Amino acid sequence: MKTVIHMLLTLTFIGIVSGGLLSQISEWAEPKIEEHRKAETARAIYLVQPEAKSYERITNVDFEVYKVFDEMKNSIGFALPYEGNGFQGKIRLMVGLNDELNKLKGLQILEQVETPGLGTKITEENFLKQFLNLSAQPMVNWVKAVPPEKQNEIQTITGATISSKAVVIILNDGIKKLRDAEKDGGVK
Amino acid sequence: MELILIFFSAAIVNNFVLAYFLGICPFIGVSNKITSAFSMGLATTFVMTITAIVTWLIYHLILVPFHLEFLEYVSFILVIASLVQFVEMFIKKVSQPLYRALGIFLPLITTNCAILGLALFIVLREYTFLQGIFFGVGAGAGFTLAITIMAGIREELDLADVPKAFQGAPITLIVAGILALAFMGFSGLISV
Amino acid sequence: MKNKVTIIKEYTKGIWQSNPVFKQILGMCPTLAVTVSAINGIAMALATTFVLVFSSFIISSVRKLIPTQVRIASYIVVIATFVTIVDLVMKAQFPELSKSLGPYIPLIVVNCIILGRQEAFSSKNTPLRSVVDALGMGSGFLIALFMLGSIRELLGSRTILGFQLLPDFYEPWLVMILPAGAFLTLGLMLAFFNNLSLHKKKSDNDKLIAKYLKTKTAADFVIEENK
Repeated sequence: MKTVIHMLLTLTFIGIVSGGLLSQISEWAEPKIEEHRKAETARAIYLVQPEAKSYERITNVDFEVYKVFDEMKNSIGFALPYEGNGFQGKIRLMVGLNDELNKLKGLQILEQVETPGLGTKITEENFLKQFLNLSAQPMVNWVKAVPPEKQNEIQTITGATISSKAVVIILNDGIKKLRDAEKDGGVK
Repeated sequence: MELILIFFSAAIVNNFVLAYFLGICPFIGVSNKITSAFSMGLATTFVMTITAIVTWLIYHLILVPFHLEFLEYVSFILVIASLVQFVEMFIKKVSQPLYRALGIFLPLITTNCAILGLALFIVLREYTFLQGIFFGVGAGAGFTLAITIMAGIREELDLADVPKAFQGAPITLIVAGILALAFMGFSGLISV
Repeated sequence: MKNKVTIIKEYTKGIWQSNPVFKQILGMCPTLAVTVSAINGIAMALATTFVLVFSSFIISSVRKLIPTQVRIASYIVVIATFVTIVDLVMKAQFPELSKSLGPYIPLIVVNCIILGRQEAFSSKNTPLRSVVDALGMGSGFLIALFMLGSIRELLGSRTILGFQLLPDFYEPWLVMILPAGAFLTLGLMLAFFNNLSLHKKKSDNDKLIAKYLKTKTAADFVIEENK
């Protein structure tokens, strides 16, 4: 009996000390972690919307999307973080769009776990710059091994076709979702 | 459909052992005989499935509502340790043959990083309850598959003339490397 | 008997003689997973050492107060607490690093090196010795992870710690930064170190035999043969 009480007391004591300590540290760390998260979003938004000076989260839709403004506080488009399946796992994008949702302002890859050296080329400038001022009318499309001819086409990366296609598919899904939301009464 | 994809993704494409390096200790330690490797795999699958259920409930019904997310690791590992103990006692009571088959492997499972890894992945990937269960079963099946294949190869290796310096862990790791290469062929098959 | 082991010996044994990775084959999961680059290896080893040192200190200090039946549970809670601290601090101060180490930081909880040292050493030794032992094991772990990380980074992406060391015409050996490369590199490294100790053992044996032969004269052998 005595040992049982001893055991319980020891475990309870360790538990209380551990919980107390952790709650203190988490209180200190939580705001900082939140700050990093915000800073990261902001950095990505300004990368895909180079002329942007400020942004605001749109609150009347059930997904994350930001309205972007220039220095005169005029709306210049949207920044949309969107994710989907890549070759080996999730790919998360930040898409910059104009107000009419038919033209891309820029694209950044926020997260990916593609094959190092092949699929990871989707994060390189050479691939991403194809999306600058690309037309999204009716949808973005891809071509393989030849330079794109139409306004809405990009060329896939050799050796990383699936990853490149995945980016385009995720991108189109995201744009479609935003267009649908716009049709359903607009995003504010 | 999505559930089946999660299952196969965890079992084959993103195999816990060969792609995430989880559960390497038993993978190297208990993989010298097919029968014991298979039992280890079954025991692990069993614990993984229960872990997936229990940790999901704890995280979403206790930790999140009370804003205690910082206790995630402490509570998960405690739950896993006591779960393994409990499962061991339960099996001993219910079925002696099963206990004889799995018994000695159960204590080893507590320190198997695949179990904690599973619980963490379920939280990280924001799986729903059902998805979590399929993920747990899939991960267990993948572990069983990898460790059984490995044991099959090692039984053959015993007959081979392995250089002295390579005997034991080194050759096991190299074989695992080749297996990992083979499993890479599955990537892109399904992706979740 | 125990006092004969000097403090320095307590430290150095972790580096080579019982190096956690090369000799005890412990802590494989972080060893293989995070060593795609040298900097990741260093960060992982430092985080592990931090947890190891503090857990060893706490557990060896209260080792006489913990009932044997619940010792493992107590160790686990102490370790998990320190791991959470490391995780939170890294997320707050080094977000980039914490992102690249991903879920492997929380997995320090189940790193067998840590629990193993508590059970085998800290529960039987003074805080000072335990901390020194933990530092030694941590250093051994750091050396192993740094070596593995450097080799994989050099062959897989031409760099070490981000500095390009191989010329551009060297085509990066992609498999090195994939999971398969981790297994292969570590397997070859283990074989290399095994080979070293085999040679050492052999030369030690040779020395012993030579020494033995020196003390005997030819006459002794004749006598022995006649017996």
